[in-house]
Amino acid sequence: MKLSMKLIAGAVALGFAAMSGAAVVPAGVKLAAKQELIRNNGSEPESLDPALAESVGANNIARDLFEGLTANDAAGKIVPGVAESWKQTDPTTWVFKLRKNAMWSNGTPVTADDFVYGWQRFLDPKTASPYASTYGIFILNGLAITEGKKQPSELGIKAIDKYTLEVKTEGPVGFMADLVSNTQLGPVNKAAIEKFGKDWTKPGNLVGNGAYVLKDWQVNSKLVLEKNPKYWDAKAVVLNKVTYLPVEDGNTDVKLFQSGENDWVYQLPPGTYDQLKTEFPKDIRNAPMLGLRYYSFNNTDPLMKDIRVRKALSMVIDRDILASKVTADGQVPAYGVVVKGTAGADVTAYDWAKWPMAKRVAEAKKLLAQAGVKPGTKIKFSYNTSEYHKKMAIFAASEWKTKLGLDTEMENMEFKVLLKKRHDGDFQIARNGWVADYNDVTTFLTLVQCDSDQNDNKNCNKKGDELIKQASTTLDPVKRKTLMTQAAKVIMDDYPMLPLLQYTVPRLVKSYVGGYTKTNSMDRFRDKDLYIIQH
Amino acid sequence: MTKKNAALVEVLQTSVEAQIAGRSLWKDARIRFFRNKAAVISLVVLTLVALACAFGPMVLPHSYEDTDWNAMGIGPSFHDWHLFGTDELGRDLLVRTLIGGRISLVIGLLATIASVSVGIVWGATAGFIGGKVDSVMMRVVDMLYAIPYLLIAILMVTIFGRNFSLVVLTISIFSWMDMARVVRGQTLSIKSKEFIEAARAIGVPTWRIIFQHVVPNLLGIVVIYTTVTVPGVILTESVLSFLGLGVQEPMTSWGVLIEDGTNVMAATPWMILFPGAALSITLYCANYIGDGLRDALDPKDR
Amino acid sequence: MWSYALRRILSTIPTILVVITVCYLMLHLTPGGPFDSERKVSAAVLANLQAKYHLDMPLWKQYLYYLNNLLHGDLGASFRYADWSVNDLVARALPVSLSIGGISMIISIVIGVALGIVAALKQNSLVDYFVMLLGNVGSAFPSFVIGPVLILVFAIWVKWFPAGGWDEFSPKYMILPIVLLTFINVSTIGRVMRGSLIEVMNTNFIRTARAKGLPLRTIVMRHAIRPALLPVVSVLGPLAISSITAAIVTETVFSLPGIGKLIVNGAGNRDYTLVLGLVVLVTVLAVVLNLLVDLAYAILDPKIRY
Repeated sequence: MKLSMKLIAGAVALGFAAMSGAAVVPAGVKLAAKQELIRNNGSEPESLDPALAESVGANNIARDLFEGLTANDAAGKIVPGVAESWKQTDPTTWVFKLRKNAMWSNGTPVTADDFVYGWQRFLDPKTASPYASTYGIFILNGLAITEGKKQPSELGIKAIDKYTLEVKTEGPVGFMADLVSNTQLGPVNKAAIEKFGKDWTKPGNLVGNGAYVLKDWQVNSKLVLEKNPKYWDAKAVVLNKVTYLPVEDGNTDVKLFQSGENDWVYQLPPGTYDQLKTEFPKDIRNAPMLGLRYYSFNNTDPLMKDIRVRKALSMVIDRDILASKVTADGQVPAYGVVVKGTAGADVTAYDWAKWPMAKRVAEAKKLLAQAGVKPGTKIKFSYNTSEYHKKMAIFAASEWKTKLGLDTEMENMEFKVLLKKRHDGDFQIARNGWVADYNDVTTFLTLVQCDSDQNDNKNCNKKGDELIKQASTTLDPVKRKTLMTQAAKVIMDDYPMLPLLQYTVPRLVKSYVGGYTKTNSMDRFRDKDLYIIQH
Repeated sequence: MTKKNAALVEVLQTSVEAQIAGRSLWKDARIRFFRNKAAVISLVVLTLVALACAFGPMVLPHSYEDTDWNAMGIGPSFHDWHLFGTDELGRDLLVRTLIGGRISLVIGLLATIASVSVGIVWGATAGFIGGKVDSVMMRVVDMLYAIPYLLIAILMVTIFGRNFSLVVLTISIFSWMDMARVVRGQTLSIKSKEFIEAARAIGVPTWRIIFQHVVPNLLGIVVIYTTVTVPGVILTESVLSFLGLGVQEPMTSWGVLIEDGTNVMAATPWMILFPGAALSITLYCANYIGDGLRDALDPKDR
Repeated sequence: MWSYALRRILSTIPTILVVITVCYLMLHLTPGGPFDSERKVSAAVLANLQAKYHLDMPLWKQYLYYLNNLLHGDLGASFRYADWSVNDLVARALPVSLSIGGISMIISIVIGVALGIVAALKQNSLVDYFVMLLGNVGSAFPSFVIGPVLILVFAIWVKWFPAGGWDEFSPKYMILPIVLLTFINVSTIGRVMRGSLIEVMNTNFIRTARAKGLPLRTIVMRHAIRPALLPVVSVLGPLAISSITAAIVTETVFSLPGIGKLIVNGAGNRDYTLVLGLVVLVTVLAVVLNLLVDLAYAILDPKIRY
């Protein structure tokens, strides 16, 4: 009881500490007369329905059109959204107080009922949201509803009154404020959805509660947003017009930037970072984000079943050279499943990470000898075709060849084919990657937990799983963190997979785009936090 | 009557010539070919390129697969004999260009032969027989335009696995339809010529008319159109590589090298320059040789 | 001829049926489904998604369901572009591809035929070699090299045109893509024209005309061009189809919202309905364009009868 009191106090403090989330234009910065931004979004959004948004790009747009209970500000901190404040009233109950001035773009107020409708609709099997189980697992009855075993009305969310929302969770969810910043767990406008049906996300029909409204949408060409005058914080919104481009090809993206038709390159094409850094020193931006590049070992494969083989393969890869010379775009070496900046656990690393390479190689050779694996043994590496993955794969193969004498057969394939092989366990070693859904260690642990959907390695560490379970029911954040860290370490000591690099987002953003920070580790930039500096 | 007779004589002459005077015909063609300077120079250059690709990698100091972390992305230099520079993983680009040439030239040759033969047979048959046969055969061609090649390629690799002959086969599947249409169009026109009618009148079997009288008269356009398809054939290989059907790293081809090079055009221009130049030189040579061959094989130009 | 044309147009229906059936089977045999993504969806979510898109029905039932919708002119809902129907997507992309591909075809025919004539009349001279050198740029350099070079020169250095994008048929966005496609098409048309004109110029009929002392211009324009165009027309069908539906490199380089991009994204995402819808579209295009080509034969060579 004492414990939970402390927790509540912390939560309340958080709720009040971060008050405003709008564009903070530092004193002395002169704003341009024309507040318009063109940003490439990397791909065409699969949907503007927040419940159906799955890709990073679609979620970027959803965060402009809709606002959840909380939100990510430009610095990456959780700030109030529609909720003014929130409290954990008991281990599995959260109460959100909504602001009274929040409005839909059609002028009607945003109320607690809109959230109830939005959440129920999100988890309803009929909606078929790809994220339903990812987030639903935390909310009371969420998973059962997605599985069709319970009715959406049984979801653990209740409107106490027009502006008070009560959420029941399955277990204690300390990172609730973070979780509900996702627009999947946000409000949607029931009237508009019922009126327009499938077409409710089209320009003219879409009713949102975000800082922007949908003006125009040309598939595979552009999507234009305009400032929403009805938004509760509209006076703090600086950008008047935002154009999202769906350019997938990195080189085309950079060319558009160079010719002045794009202010924001989604991601630099591989092998261009150094050159573009010299060419555009003021515009280059690069910051680590919560994402991990790794290789999955197939733990059921006859050869990879042996932990000594997995360990040896992991040890000899020189992540420093990989980061500094091969990808050469500022990525950070990784030696564990949890990356730097993740809340809820400390980064774990293998002891040998600090050893000199010669010692690592000697140890790895010894392990292979013990496992009875002779030089010249063939291993098979599968990856989906991409310049980036190819470079990393050639590097890994060359490390295994020169240091251990193993012959890697490289097998590239189309993305969906790799996904299928990975999910079916039809591989030996396969390229893999993960970007956090929310800032908590559990998003990364799904990669190595027994029977997790995201566990392509097919490994299972009973002790680790037990620790995670224990941590999940622990209320004290400090103790939870210790347990989670311990779990990550225990599991990774099994070498279920091969961590390589922590993602960074190297991109070009025009130097006159203000509000961009290096600390936004989820790479979630809402346009309400950005502005154009006079140039 | 006289017209028909004259045509009849022509038919008999060609078939007789084809059998008895075959040698002198080829000799004629050779002489005409060597009259075209661009074609001759192209032939020499292409031979040199092919020889370099075949034997170059054996005598060069570097191997096409060895990475060198201390020589990544360096430009062309005499230092360490990286005459074409290195790629982003420090692999020598000269050797890789030559090795890639082996694959691309062989694929270019084999797939072209395959697709051209299928195209000629299909197109000439459809055009000559006409009617329902033509309809059905040409609708098959129309259908093949519509089936996305991505699916065919992914399915091929899934069902049959990866091997070189499969690459050639797949490329041929994608590239014979244009030839078939062109050949059919010409056949329709040739079909109505007197000498064909004459051949029919004296009872020459259909397939013999097609192959002895129609096809030789198509050779000009076939040769031209073949050179048009060669670049497509060579570059399609890189698309197949993307889908996992073509060459696998560290092996490479011109298509793959050029595509990789295009991505880093601004930072390391030599990565596109050399493989690109090799391909372009080859294609230009193929074009001029094609024009020369066409002139040489033209049955009317005597 | 008109009954022939009508029969050909009617033949589209069985053609489409066969293609759809083949592609339908191929799509379902291809590994990976529309809902496979880096983040694997749970079994429950997968079941929900399949129910939503009617993929939970037996295959033959899905097939009939699709055919029934097709009969009513409904190509179904896209998987990849979940907010749009395939009808919407095709209706938006087709005008883009048709305008870029069509304009480029017209320009290419004019330039290609002209280059071919010049080269043929100056056969084996320096003029011939030079004209063909120029005309062959499009076939000797891959379009994914020519495209970026065009952008570098005209969009980044001299800034005459935007580097890419599309805005309601605004010419400044259309010019560079058209130029790129034209490079590719001109080389084919020019080469075929050169070869075929040389051939025609060597026929007895033209030789006689020349012997009679008719001016070259008259001979070429009045007598030689028509028969020489026949093979050129043959290549126009395939060329037009690929300019409209397979211009994926052009669309990628210039970031155009065309059909090629839909085909590649559709196949890559296993967007069954989108792929099938595009297959229907391309089949219709192929049949119609090739019919036009066949009708053109009859005009160019009156002896050709159907």
